[in-house]
Amino acid sequence: MRLFGRKDADPSPGAEEALGLFLFDAVNDAIAAERALKVAGYGVHLVAPPPHLRAGCDLSVALERVEHVGAERVLAEAGVHVREWVNDAEGTASVCDLVTTVDFGDWLMVRAGNMKIVVEKATGVIVNTSGGGCPDIPYLNLALVGRRLDEVPRPKDFGYTLCGLMLDRAYVEVRALLEVDGR
Amino acid sequence: MTLLVIATYPVVEGPVLDGPVTLEADGGIAIGGTRVPSSQGTSAMLGAATRVAAHLGTPAPHALVAGDIGRGDGTRHVYERLAEVATRIRPSVIAFHYMQPVMALMRRAVEQLAEVAPAALLVADAGGMYAAKAAGLASRFELMTPDVGELGFLADPDVTHPAYVSHYLFGNEGFDPIALAATAHATGGAARVLLIKGVRDHITLDGAIAEVVEEPCVPELEAIGGTGDTVTGLASAFLAAGFPTVDAARCACLANREAGRAMGATPAMHAEDLVAALPNVLGDNLCGWGGACVV
Repeated sequence: MRLFGRKDADPSPGAEEALGLFLFDAVNDAIAAERALKVAGYGVHLVAPPPHLRAGCDLSVALERVEHVGAERVLAEAGVHVREWVNDAEGTASVCDLVTTVDFGDWLMVRAGNMKIVVEKATGVIVNTSGGGCPDIPYLNLALVGRRLDEVPRPKDFGYTLCGLMLDRAYVEVRALLEVDGR
Repeated sequence: MTLLVIATYPVVEGPVLDGPVTLEADGGIAIGGTRVPSSQGTSAMLGAATRVAAHLGTPAPHALVAGDIGRGDGTRHVYERLAEVATRIRPSVIAFHYMQPVMALMRRAVEQLAEVAPAALLVADAGGMYAAKAAGLASRFELMTPDVGELGFLADPDVTHPAYVSHYLFGNEGFDPIALAATAHATGGAARVLLIKGVRDHITLDGAIAEVVEEPCVPELEAIGGTGDTVTGLASAFLAAGFPTVDAARCACLANREAGRAMGATPAMHAEDLVAALPNVLGDNLCGWGGACVV
């Protein structure tokens, strides 16, 4: 039996419910936490922590304060390391969700924020990734370029930073646009 | 006249490499004799910088890098060595490139460099630029090379990463790079010179427009990973060769665009193709662009 069940609320910054934040030492911990909490039924939102809680390339998970004890248990069971919980979401910022496309004829480029992925339409082969400035981006570039969209993992599953997260958004969008099934 | 590049390379737990950069026969990059993977990012930046040094007869760039795939481990190793390497190399230009953007590490690095290399001009792009701006240190830098989204990041004092940039500061609709550059300068988010990479490249000095470069126009370059990094490498190398900063930025924009035209860029090509085109581009054009012909 789960004592702390899910709510259907979307705890985006500025929502009426009182929010708190899980803070993490690494962006991929935040991404793993979001995944585990969503699977468990929690309504969560990835946000930048308030300025006084930032160390640099930060990402935190916001959810309703009342749910934090149960959510913390879910994260412990999932093996996700949490730096701390704070009862304050004032000053958070949402991740940019601006997605645009450029059609190059045989190739389609999708931008999510300043991250870009380029795919050959006929084959679904990723021919380029670009943008960003965190160290996982060249690593993701080597792992993705030259392979088909349907044979690579999502960038958020093996990236580590906010740049990787934005590349994941571009990846998801180009899959949808080219109607590549799965995932 | 030495360029020191501080960065990472995409290998899990790859060791610290500290040495001059050389271009291999196949276009690959070696640092102190050790190959690093060719991809977008710092290898593209180093390739372009090395081509400039070879053309002008200036010392090859010196790189201090470590393996990092986004966990921040290699970034920390590089920062630990920075003061020692800068003291030994005595660079005229120090460029921060693909690094985990950790504000505390950047603050310490800038403090150290003020002691051991006070005359060196600081350049930042990629994660190095994110850390410098987020830490409130942008105005200590001579040159930053943002793309349009990153310019929105520099212009917003409350944002610590481009992923959080608001729509109105980002990209196309109503986007005004000149106004944003002025805002970034006024709020302490910009280096003295900004090279803003886009369909039209804008170069600003102390927040005011200095140059606009828009020819040749090669839209495919935006799709090719690493072509922004090559601009940064070109500008850093020209700066290390003694070009005034605005001239270094302008020649970098022109060389990158001309190389894209010369290579017949398509979205499926790679930064190595552009780097390979640079020797002829520099040889045929640099004097005509007003850059130094021989140093």
